[in-house]
Parts: sequence; structure tokens; C-alpha cells
Amino acid sequence: MRLDFNRILADNQSLVFSLALRFLRDRAGAEELAQDVFLQLYQRLGRIESPAHATSWLRRAICHRCIDEARKRRFRPRVALEAVPEPSTEPVNPDPLLHDRLRRLIGELPDSARMVVLLRYQEDLDPTDIAGLLNMPISTVKSHLHRSLTVLRGRMQKQEICR
Amino acid sequence: MNLEDDLRRALQREAAPPDFAARVLARTRPRRAFLFAVAAAVTVAALVPPGIYQYRQRQKATEARDQLVLALSITQVQLLHIQQQIQHHTRHAQ
Repeated sequence: MRLDFNRILADNQSLVFSLALRFLRDRAGAEELAQDVFLQLYQRLGRIESPAHATSWLRRAICHRCIDEARKRRFRPRVALEAVPEPSTEPVNPDPLLHDRLRRLIGELPDSARMVVLLRYQEDLDPTDIAGLLNMPISTVKSHLHRSLTVLRGRMQKQEICR
Repeated sequence: MNLEDDLRRALQREAAPPDFAARVLARTRPRRAFLFAVAAAVTVAALVPPGIYQYRQRQKATEARDQLVLALSITQVQLLHIQQQIQHHTRHAQ
């Protein structure tokens, strides 16, 4: 049975685009990368068994493409996050600047740690799934998470003091 | 402040641009067109040679029929001629 590509595209475009956008912090680059990943999926649609398989394949593909792209660009967190528009969903937190600052700080994390944080808090994956997705030991995932949270907490507090 | 909750809120998925899906689909079209062309070529390759073969066979059959009709006409004329000669000789003999 051949899956409905249009349906997969509609269901997963936000996932793929958001991961690329949060990771690269470059809207045009994120869109191009997301499009490429969907095209790759289209070319191998015959080998995709179910919509869940498609989602899992897309998530894995965009993670690895993002990390490769960052390496290619020798990406450094110098692009202002202000260039990235706010999420279309209504903010729950009364302090929208907090989200901005958090995203900026996440953008300053090293590539692997940044992707681990995105998968954990954007995609709500547990460390075991993240380890499988990124082909890294679970201890490394946990270590990335722990260190990233410590760094983020420290920088947030530092900024609070400086304000 | 609960940092993990804040992270979840800050990292909510963002909707893709409104024309994102259309742009992806547009990029799949050249491949669709290519696949269509390949399918058309395969169809033509599958249908044309048998068609040509059938046409040639029909042409040969028509030629054979025409030759047979001609041969029968010649034979008929010859037979008629022989019959007339026989009748002529019979009349002279009487």
C-alpha cells in the first residue's frame, strides 16, 4: 500500500520545519532543509510502512540533516534570534521575552546538545528515543540534557542579575 | 521558575509557512512528469511493435489473397480457352 504523501506532508510539516528552524535559527535555510527532507521521503515512499514510520523517518532525517548543515556552515550562534518570528500559537507564559531569551540561549548550545534539548522539549521524546534517533549512548543524551539545563539555568540567572 | 516547563513552552512547534506544502509538491512535479514520461514510453514500446507486426501480417494476407484471385482468373481463362478448342475440334471431326 502506497501512503498518501500529501497527508504525511500536512501532518508533519510543522514538526520538520520547527526542528530545523529552532536548530539553524535561519528561516530560509530551515525551509529549504525541510523541503529537501520531504523530497527524500517522497522518493522512498514505497519503503515507508505507515504514517508513524514516516514521522519517525522524517524526525531522524531532519535531525541528521540539521547537524550536517550546521557543520557545513560552521554554524556559530551569531544570528540574532529576533529575526525569527514568534510561534503562531498563543503564548501561555505571561513573559514572552523569557521565551525569546531561552531560544537564544538554546541556540548557543553546541550542536549535539542543542538537538538533544530540542528533541526533549519540543518533541517531548524520552532520552532512550533520543539516543536511538541520534545514534548516541543514552548516557551521553542524559549528560547533554543535564549539562544543558545547568548552563541554561546559570545563564538565565546571570541575565536576571544583569538586568 | 520551572526551567523545563519554560523550555516546553518556548519550544512549542511553529507552523510551517502557509505555502510550504505547495512548494514541496511543486518540487515533486518534475519527478512525477519524468515518471509519467517513462510510463508513456514503456506503454508505447509495449503496444507499437505488436501493432506493426499485425499490420504486416494483414498486408501479407491481402497480397496472398490478391495473388490467388489472379491465379484463379488466369486458370479460368485458360480453361475457357481449352474448352473452346475442344468444342471446335469436336465440330470438325463430325
